[in-house]
Amino acid sequence: MKELNTALVVTLLLGLLVQCSTTPLDRDLSHLPYTPEPYEVKVPEGFPRLEVPEDNPITKAGVALGQKLFFDPILSADSTMSCVNCHLPYFALTDVEATSVGIDGLRGRRSSMSLLNVAFYNTGLFWDGRSPSLEAQALEPVEDTLELHHKWVDLVPQLREHAEYPALFRAAFGIQNTAEINKELAAKAIAQFERVQISDGRAKFDRVMQGEATFTPDEAAGYDMFFDVTNEFPDAECGHCHNVPLFTTNEYFNNGITAAATPEDFPDPGLGGVTGNPYDMGKFRAPSLRNITLTAPYMHDGRFKTLSEVLDHYNQGGQTSANVSPLIRPLKLSEVEKRQIIAFLHTLTDRKFVNHRR
Amino acid sequence: MRKLLYLLPLSLLFFVTACGDDDVQAEETAEVNLNFKATYDGDDFYTENIYKLFEGVDDTDIKFSTFDFFIGNVSLIKNVGEEFEETELLEIDFVSLSFDPGQAAQAEAGVTIQGRKVPAGTYDGIKIGFGVPADLNRTSPSEYGSGDVLSKTSHYWSGWDSYIFAKLEGLADHNGNGVFETSGVEEGFTYHMGTDETFTERTIFQTITLEVDEERTVNLNLDVRKLFRMTLSEYDQDDNDLLDVEDFPGTHTDAELQINKTMMNNFSDAVSLQE
Repeated sequence: MKELNTALVVTLLLGLLVQCSTTPLDRDLSHLPYTPEPYEVKVPEGFPRLEVPEDNPITKAGVALGQKLFFDPILSADSTMSCVNCHLPYFALTDVEATSVGIDGLRGRRSSMSLLNVAFYNTGLFWDGRSPSLEAQALEPVEDTLELHHKWVDLVPQLREHAEYPALFRAAFGIQNTAEINKELAAKAIAQFERVQISDGRAKFDRVMQGEATFTPDEAAGYDMFFDVTNEFPDAECGHCHNVPLFTTNEYFNNGITAAATPEDFPDPGLGGVTGNPYDMGKFRAPSLRNITLTAPYMHDGRFKTLSEVLDHYNQGGQTSANVSPLIRPLKLSEVEKRQIIAFLHTLTDRKFVNHRR
Repeated sequence: MRKLLYLLPLSLLFFVTACGDDDVQAEETAEVNLNFKATYDGDDFYTENIYKLFEGVDDTDIKFSTFDFFIGNVSLIKNVGEEFEETELLEIDFVSLSFDPGQAAQAEAGVTIQGRKVPAGTYDGIKIGFGVPADLNRTSPSEYGSGDVLSKTSHYWSGWDSYIFAKLEGLADHNGNGVFETSGVEEGFTYHMGTDETFTERTIFQTITLEVDEERTVNLNLDVRKLFRMTLSEYDQDDNDLLDVEDFPGTHTDAELQINKTMMNNFSDAVSLQE
């Protein structure tokens, strides 16, 4: 009898334990409001069309949830870092490190990319283009051992048990129960937030194009060389990979920053590491140059501290390298001309965007 | 009786509509696709392969990284009395033949573009435009969704207010040291062609008979080497009827417009209809 009583008590306690641990993970949310309202996305005139996946329309609640997740250190294993640590608004959603440092103090092998206008990156995300969509991209940093070093399998229960997130997921996606919170919905919310990080189209360059401002003589000369407008200045060949309106063509190039006699010689294969194609080795996404003055250091590994160093690299014609783009060539720019191009690059700075608190 | 009068026009409308449907259903059509492949002096064309620029005339080693172009206003033509009647196959499309040796199967297959259904019958040839027709060239990439061929910002040059109709890029080993270089040495060439005046049309006369419900692929070949033909002495300093690639490696500026024009015009000679 005593044994039976003991067994009953144990069973009851176990039952209570199980209930305690499962109730927050399996809580009905249907009584909470779900009234999705479209988020009004402002796309500047002349920008590409904003294309939104049918299964992830942008809503106010979705962006709000994405923003909260983006800034919340709950995403990291030790709750010390979140997306924003490497994508700081003031630095055009990048950081100031050559390569970013994760929660374990370890450096990644690549520089944090600006997320500005990432909604229009339709040829793959990351420097090597490995993610086909923002939704797919948003899943990666959480589990990257050099970044947030968490596990979705551990993070999802944290979100389900959280005091605020269940209601926010309900508001964003209409889920009925906390058990429906999963990594895919979290990634969708983050993707919504990232998708609305769009320039306001009011950088000086934009205002000049709209006839509301004029370039200084140096900026005008730089613009001429950047796009090879006239024969008055040398062709700096910039516009091929950094064309308007985003100042990227969403293509992948080897810009000659790494000397490599053969495709096997690249320390970081870039696109080639994704495709396995030897002719893609050493190629990286051409980044947008909007707000480039805020995103130092430069290149996929942050090797150049200043724009002046970047111009020196291109002016030399890069380094002899397998798969190098034929667009890389000695430019024969004078010191004055290099400064003029940098003056033009300053007109791409969109301070209103970086100062805006989202 | 008055009701019957109202019904009369309705009945006539029904017959007219019905007749129209019969016409559409009765139209006998065939489907025509276009297939593009590239060769270099008779050999299969691959990017990254090393060729002689023009063997026996200019033996500079050359390799390409990009070869692509727009086609526009493609139609089948039929001789009707003293005039030609055109049946449009497609308005605009984009062909990239930048296949490296690792993509041999794709290079071998070429690029096939689906054309429209056209009335079955016998045609006297095909007309192909190389570039973006003027009406579409007045638009710009931001006006198109990402799936549209005209959305490519990589193929629009705002300095020209024009799409880049064709790109031919690569490296030439001008100093003959066996290395394709960019560092301190100018061995790259980037021919980007465009502007309305360079739009090139070629009509190839060859009988094309299309049976009802047939799906036909018209095979077209481009000999890339022929794009380098140049007879303007200013740009052919070796006087060998070839573009001087070393001294004129690009086509951006107004001064280089003649190269731009000539290379686009060369598409006319470079394309051939394959059996």
